[in-house]
Amino acid sequence: MNKSILTLSFSILLLALAGGEAQAKELTVDEIVKKTNHAAYYQGQDGRSKIKMTITGKGGEKRVRSFTALRRNNSEDDGDQSFYIYFHKPADVAKMVFIAQKKVKGADDRWLYLPGLDLVKRIAASDERTSFVGSDFFYEDVSGRNINADHHKLLETTKNFYVLEHTPKKPGSVEFSSYKMWVHRTSFLATKVEYYNKQKKKYRVMTVDSVVKVQGYSTVKKATMQSLLAGTKTTIEYDSEYNIGLPAKLFGERYLRRAPLKYLK
Amino acid sequence: MKSQRIITFAIEHPKLIVRGMLAITVVLLAFAGVPTLMPDSLGFMPQVTVDTDPENMLPKSHPARVFHNAQKERFHLHDAVVLGVVNDDNSNGVFNPSTLAKVYQLTEFAKGLEGVIESDVMAPSTMDSIENAGPGTVRFDWLMAEPPADQAAATAVRDRAMRLPFLKGTMISSDGKALVIYIPIKEKSIAHEISSSLREEIARLGAGSDQFYIAGLPVAEDTFGIEMFVQMAISAPLAMILIFILMWVFFRSLTIITSPMLVAMASALSTMALLVLSGNTVHIMSSMIPIFIMPIAVLDAVHIISDFFDTYPHIGDRRKTLEKVMAHLSAPMLYTSLTTAVGFGSLALTPIPPVQVFGIFIAIGVLAAWIFTILFVPAYIMLLSPKRLEGFGRNIEAHTTHKGLLSVLGKMRGIHAKIILLVSISLIAVAVVGIQRINVNDNPTKWFEEEHEIRVADRVLNEHFGGTYDAYLNLQFKAPKYSSEDYRTELIAAATSESKAVEEVFSELAALMAPLVGSDSFDALDTLDAAARKSKTSEPSAERRIAWGLALDLLGEQFEAADAVEGEESPLFGEQAIVQATRRAKKIQDAYGALTPLCADVVAASRSEFREALAAKLPSDALVASVLDSFLARQEQSQQVFKTPEMLRFIEGLQGAMAKHSAVGKTNSLADIVKIVNRDLISGEEADYRIPNTQAIVGETLTQYQSSHRKDDLWHFVTPDFQNTIVWFQLKSGDNMEMQRVISAVKTYVRAHPAPMELEEPSWFGLTYINVVWQEKMVSGMVNALLGSFVIVLIMMVVLFRSPLWGLLSMIPLTLTVALIYGVLGLSGKDYDMPVAVLSSLSLGLAIDYAIHFLARTRELRNAHGSWKAAQPRVFDEPARAISHNVIIVGCGFLPLLLAPLVPYQTVGLLIASILLAAGAATLVLLPALIHTFEGLLFRSPKKK
Repeated sequence: MNKSILTLSFSILLLALAGGEAQAKELTVDEIVKKTNHAAYYQGQDGRSKIKMTITGKGGEKRVRSFTALRRNNSEDDGDQSFYIYFHKPADVAKMVFIAQKKVKGADDRWLYLPGLDLVKRIAASDERTSFVGSDFFYEDVSGRNINADHHKLLETTKNFYVLEHTPKKPGSVEFSSYKMWVHRTSFLATKVEYYNKQKKKYRVMTVDSVVKVQGYSTVKKATMQSLLAGTKTTIEYDSEYNIGLPAKLFGERYLRRAPLKYLK
Repeated sequence: MKSQRIITFAIEHPKLIVRGMLAITVVLLAFAGVPTLMPDSLGFMPQVTVDTDPENMLPKSHPARVFHNAQKERFHLHDAVVLGVVNDDNSNGVFNPSTLAKVYQLTEFAKGLEGVIESDVMAPSTMDSIENAGPGTVRFDWLMAEPPADQAAATAVRDRAMRLPFLKGTMISSDGKALVIYIPIKEKSIAHEISSSLREEIARLGAGSDQFYIAGLPVAEDTFGIEMFVQMAISAPLAMILIFILMWVFFRSLTIITSPMLVAMASALSTMALLVLSGNTVHIMSSMIPIFIMPIAVLDAVHIISDFFDTYPHIGDRRKTLEKVMAHLSAPMLYTSLTTAVGFGSLALTPIPPVQVFGIFIAIGVLAAWIFTILFVPAYIMLLSPKRLEGFGRNIEAHTTHKGLLSVLGKMRGIHAKIILLVSISLIAVAVVGIQRINVNDNPTKWFEEEHEIRVADRVLNEHFGGTYDAYLNLQFKAPKYSSEDYRTELIAAATSESKAVEEVFSELAALMAPLVGSDSFDALDTLDAAARKSKTSEPSAERRIAWGLALDLLGEQFEAADAVEGEESPLFGEQAIVQATRRAKKIQDAYGALTPLCADVVAASRSEFREALAAKLPSDALVASVLDSFLARQEQSQQVFKTPEMLRFIEGLQGAMAKHSAVGKTNSLADIVKIVNRDLISGEEADYRIPNTQAIVGETLTQYQSSHRKDDLWHFVTPDFQNTIVWFQLKSGDNMEMQRVISAVKTYVRAHPAPMELEEPSWFGLTYINVVWQEKMVSGMVNALLGSFVIVLIMMVVLFRSPLWGLLSMIPLTLTVALIYGVLGLSGKDYDMPVAVLSSLSLGLAIDYAIHFLARTRELRNAHGSWKAAQPRVFDEPARAISHNVIIVGCGFLPLLLAPLVPYQTVGLLIASILLAAGAATLVLLPALIHTFEGLLFRSPKKK
């Protein structure tokens, strides 16, 4: 199916990139941004990650959350996607479910299932830059910020990285004034992102701590987000697989209350 | 006598003495001043450091303070500058576009200031709002994402904020007329900078119809520091000027009266220099040192000058006059200085460091003043040319304004004496009544005058909000003692009861399944699913809820399987499902059963290590591993007591009871957070503003609360292990007495309504509480210091007069004075606070002075003249005059303190004047009456001439 086509085209892409720096240098900033967006959120036709999230508080205390995240691309052009997140730990949020229909145009649809209350809630369209379950990552970091929301600028190209600067088109809607991204030139993984607040002070830093190849895809294995002002940080460790053949219906409301355990194990 | 030789030395080497005193003062001042004024030059020397932190009333190592700081750190609490905005003109209060725009800009401005803890700033634009946005929808958003464009948007901000009980009465007033921005800062020392930057920004924005108030303890402390210097720079010099004028009135010679002034200045300045050099801070207490030393230093010099003034015209020779004067003054002066030093030195016994420093350095200053007086005053007189002394002391009659009164006292007879004794006894009786009514109470905010902007801000903000005085009630779970043995038993018991619940629930499930066999599979699963959910949510037993959860997992799997079947028609619900349920139950029970052998040989140092050891050896079977893994995850939370509905309800009950207490404005706690989120997750209706029924729901509400812009706010209320939580009390008053009432109310409540799980004794922290602690120490400390110095002074008096009877007699005026001062204090309803407490030592030291001078001269004159009747007019001549001069000069010398901008200084000024007057009167009125009455006893066997 299109799985093989995608894999094939991606392999060709990788080969082309490996071909030489001359070609890479000619990429426009928009192309770099697109490839980065693809590498971060769209690799494979779908994917599953078992995630261990370690939140380190101001006092140094650690809290662990573990969950499984399913992701499915709903189109082939790095467009709309579906996410399914199922919590295992801690015990009091076990079986909590979060579903998002990410839309390139318009606000994402988000649902929440709270098993203790046995309650399904739609989350009203609002700020997506809020903490993801108490961690230093934002919901938007998990789902991917719309590339059309920012102006992009290529600051410099170093031996290994493209250094990009992004400024929001609507500065009033976000808490940052800009962010800087170091994109690895062959994998197109953003290995470091620095956010600057309205006072131009660096206040948030994401670093990729380790990368592995999974089924041929360069995949982040471990990443850390630090909130410099709050003095907290969150490390995410991923155990990822690609192309498992997730059916679209898993992401519907019906499976919100009835977790598809088969895919979550 | 030794001091006699010293005086002779001074008389013989006047220049050396004068130069010596000046040199000592200048050198000390230079060492103390240079490092501060030129910080680079003498880096190794201590600089002047100002300390206005009320916390420092307790030693750094005091358990209450250590705990206070540890908990502040633990809950990430910081001192904050509080910016209040009030608008009484606009019908919408502060919730109008113009005011909110300013509030927004000021918040942004404050966030950008260096030293501000940006992530903890509390303002409409930094707080989150959670609300129910129509059926089935919840919205998380900024309370005020941007300045509202119109009144409708401003009103919407108000309506959202009013729905959050957490903010109402804390950040916004319930009438909508006021709001506050809390600006936490890293260091108290930058409070002044922050508040002046804010003032500039407010001026730039233009206040308009809004009133802005800057409050908060750091600002108050900072302002205090400045006013302290104002006091030292204005009140102390004013005291000097007044003393100078009074001395001129009595002695009419600028040349002569310059010497006591020089002694006073040299003593005060040298002492302050020593204070700085020894690395001590300038504190509210130590800033009063100069103003205490100056009048005391003048005291001895006034005795010399007064005596010299009376004697010189008769003798006409400086040296001979001085020798005569010093002969009968040197012993009383030594003793008065020693007793004053003991009085203040006794403060070193109090457990309050600033008071210790204050006492010790005044004692040093008093002794310095004594040395300077006996050396410098004679030396100074010797250096004057005899010409300048011409006419000195001649016009005694004309200038002794109060001579009339003294001569009346000099004619006192038996009947008068009896009346005086009777009056004194009744005064003591009144004093005893008054002392019993004394209120021990202090409040650092009240150290500022009524109309001071800090007090105004405090008053206005207290009118609009729950209260601006913070205290934190600390609730700590008392974890049972751990042992591997006990924990193993506990785990197995928990597993057994979960296993039993699984058996029950799955057989109930099988029973529900039976009638559905043969029906449409999706319909059957939907029916079962609904029934299982209903049972799960309404189930009171935690174990059965878990079992229903496992049953739902099975139903989910069955649904998934049915859903995976290809084809147009739905599959049918078969017997197979029941078999699966029975098998599943068996399998889960086996999994629980597997725990016992797994636990058997685990020995670990703690509960978490025990669980880790178990987790490491879970069997490979997926289901068994998953059942036990979830089991262990639940056990991990079994001691998170403040996540349990029971404990949250306990806190809720406590808060409800405390809300009725007159001193409590408002309380905030973890229970409030849970209730708000629960309400807006479910329906947004008041009916859902409650503590949920299960720990899992509490966990869910808290996870949602943290999925906000302020994920760390939760940790201001509870520790991540959920074993330690705080209830934030906003008190209406910072008075210690109010705080104490709240403390005992909580104690009583907790005794009557014990927590459902065992807690440590509830404890407190926060500045309002710290004040209570040092207040208590102050009272007991002062009583001990006073009793201690009373005994020492009594012994000294017995030695001085070589008679226990005379020793006791000399103690009478001060006893009466101290009793009267405290009696009046109790009767007038004025609080016994720190400045008052310190004054007890002063009254002791000063009141004994007059008695020593009076009795020493009385005995001398009585023995010389043979009878009290003959000696009396002479006693009431020069000796009484010197004492009355002293009372007036020194007593009035403290009056400029009434002009000080800080209340403690005013209290000190007023009380010292009263103490001196009372001590003077007691000495000049009561002592003669006693001597008259008990003459026979006192002079039974005159031993020496």
